[in-house]
Amino acid sequence: MADAFFEVQGLTKRFGGLVAVDNVSFRIDQGEVVALIGPNGSGKTTLLRLIMGVLKPDSGRIIFKGKDITRHRSCDIVKRGIAGTFQVVKPFRNLPCIMNVMVACMVTKAKRGEWTKRLAVKARDALEFVGIADLSLERAAVLSHGDLKRLEIARAISTEPELLLLDEPFGGLNPAETDLLGKSMRRLHKGGRFGRLHSEEMVMLIVEHKLMDLMKIVDRVLVLNFGQIIAQGTPEEIASDNKVIEAYLGKGVILGAS
Amino acid sequence: MIRGLYKAFQGNIMAIPGRAMAFFCLLLLCFVPLVTQEPYILLVLIFVNVFAIYAASWDVLAGFTGQFNMGQGALFAIAAYTAAILSRDLGWVPWATIPCGALVAMLAGFIIAIPSMRLRGTYFTLVSLTFPLILAGIVLVFVDFTGGEKGISGVSALCQSRVAAYYTTFIVMVASVLAMWKFTDARSSLIRTGLAFRAIQEDEISARCSGIDTTRYKLAAFGVSAFFAGISGGLYVHVMRVAGPMMLDLLWSFSPIIWTIFGGMGTIGGAVTGVFVLYPVMELLRVIPELRMFVYACLVVLIILFMPEGIVPWARDKIEKQCPRCKLINAMSRQECRACGAHLHTERKKLETVKD
Ligand SMILES: Nc1ncnc2c1ncn2[C@@H]1O[C@H](COP(=O)(O)OP(=O)(O)OP(=O)(O)O)[C@@H](O)[C@H]1O
Ligand SMILES: [Mg+2]
Repeated sequence: MADAFFEVQGLTKRFGGLVAVDNVSFRIDQGEVVALIGPNGSGKTTLLRLIMGVLKPDSGRIIFKGKDITRHRSCDIVKRGIAGTFQVVKPFRNLPCIMNVMVACMVTKAKRGEWTKRLAVKARDALEFVGIADLSLERAAVLSHGDLKRLEIARAISTEPELLLLDEPFGGLNPAETDLLGKSMRRLHKGGRFGRLHSEEMVMLIVEHKLMDLMKIVDRVLVLNFGQIIAQGTPEEIASDNKVIEAYLGKGVILGAS
Repeated sequence: MIRGLYKAFQGNIMAIPGRAMAFFCLLLLCFVPLVTQEPYILLVLIFVNVFAIYAASWDVLAGFTGQFNMGQGALFAIAAYTAAILSRDLGWVPWATIPCGALVAMLAGFIIAIPSMRLRGTYFTLVSLTFPLILAGIVLVFVDFTGGEKGISGVSALCQSRVAAYYTTFIVMVASVLAMWKFTDARSSLIRTGLAFRAIQEDEISARCSGIDTTRYKLAAFGVSAFFAGISGGLYVHVMRVAGPMMLDLLWSFSPIIWTIFGGMGTIGGAVTGVFVLYPVMELLRVIPELRMFVYACLVVLIILFMPEGIVPWARDKIEKQCPRCKLINAMSRQECRACGAHLHTERKKLETVKD
């Protein structure tokens, strides 16, 4: 079998007696957008943090483009082309938004000289892409929760990743904003240039509680429950999968309709 | 070309009250020897210059990476002893011994950095206390080489005359402080370390996940901090012409901490201001030798009580304000922003009420 674009093999993470991620294996191919869903506390965030190198797994391997990156440091993982956002936003609160994003822009090597201006232009493009360019000079601390989520996304995409991990990107956004952001995700995935920012077929792994917002965006869904993958398939298959319905206590709950 | 320089000077220095004041203070210091050549006053100012570098070097590490090094004196002393030994045994001139001493101190800084990469916060602070003590032990063991308690005397003088020594230390101080300021300034366009330091300070995990190699930047901060501590150590030893173990006193390591906290941590300018205020005060207090330490301590405690951020950030708040729209810094006296013309007073009030 050919090397997958991204692959996780038997990943396990324990917090004391609790097995938060339990022998999880899956792969993501070039050009896919994958959703990772699961009930509260099923280990989605933990799985993402393991991939980002914030947490170290107890066992298992993470392979990206044929390279084992399990023990790599976060900064090296970002340089290899994986960037992610945090569920609980972690902005640089006392820095203006634009500088928040400039920090991430520093990953890509720029020539010496007027580098601040170059970074600032690129950072502004990223802020524009997520729709908060008008706030670029404000300190991150004064932003609303929804705007902070977008700042987080701007920061992640400005490292120009090949694999983008999003932890509940729609949390705290209203339906209209959700729709807009969903469309932006699609555009990122298709690739292209957005000012100084460019993406080539960004592969995405999107974590959400509910499938509804993601139905139109994703190609494939992974379902996590108690740290184990209990199902995977197309969104339609998942929405009618018995095991999943059981885990979520009812069909309406998965989709997010009440 | 000249007009461009003048414009840059107007916009980047004269328009920002804090910087304009710093500029005029430095300008005044240039002319001190024209006014008085009193050797004692010049000597005090020479020490002020030397210690300004020392305090700023501590601030590079503590104010920007949060590594509270209580053993900065060890780095100072390593450079001082290196310079003294090179001068005594090999007869090198100060221009050679001081940079060599600084490089040795930098090497020591990297070695010190190893435990600090493993120990966090308070634990590093506790370990750093031992650096000067260990070094003092070493100095007292190799008496033949280091002179033991008596120290090393017969170090060559920095310059022939005191005025020359004053200008030398002054120029080195200005150059070093500018270098350290640029190194740590988040808006610097020369080097990106400042922005990385700010990010690391705000949120280390976020910084790492944005691709900042936090270990490398911390190492760089250690190296630069140690290098400039070394520069000041080398200058000191050539001014005093002796190197002795009193540099390894804990008080010697605490001094830059007191100066910097007094002036304002994480600003570089604060560290320098702290020295320029406190060192002469300490000298003035020699008129009451018994109460000297007591008055000095009271002064520092009072200032820190009323200006917890230090005098530089406190003064800056009084004379500068940020435009609410374009975030440019304006003089307090202005009604409208110098760039975008937004109203400064009214909008500021509005912003504050919104925050509540
Ligand atoms: N640092 C930690 N230390 C101890 N336990 C943890 C830690 N982080 C997560 N856990 C536990 O691991 C389990 C999985 O948590 P995780 O945050 O990954 O779930 P999640 O699927 O993201 O949930 P949610 O949908 O609420 O975001 C939870 O039971 C949680 O309490
Ligand atoms: Mg979560």
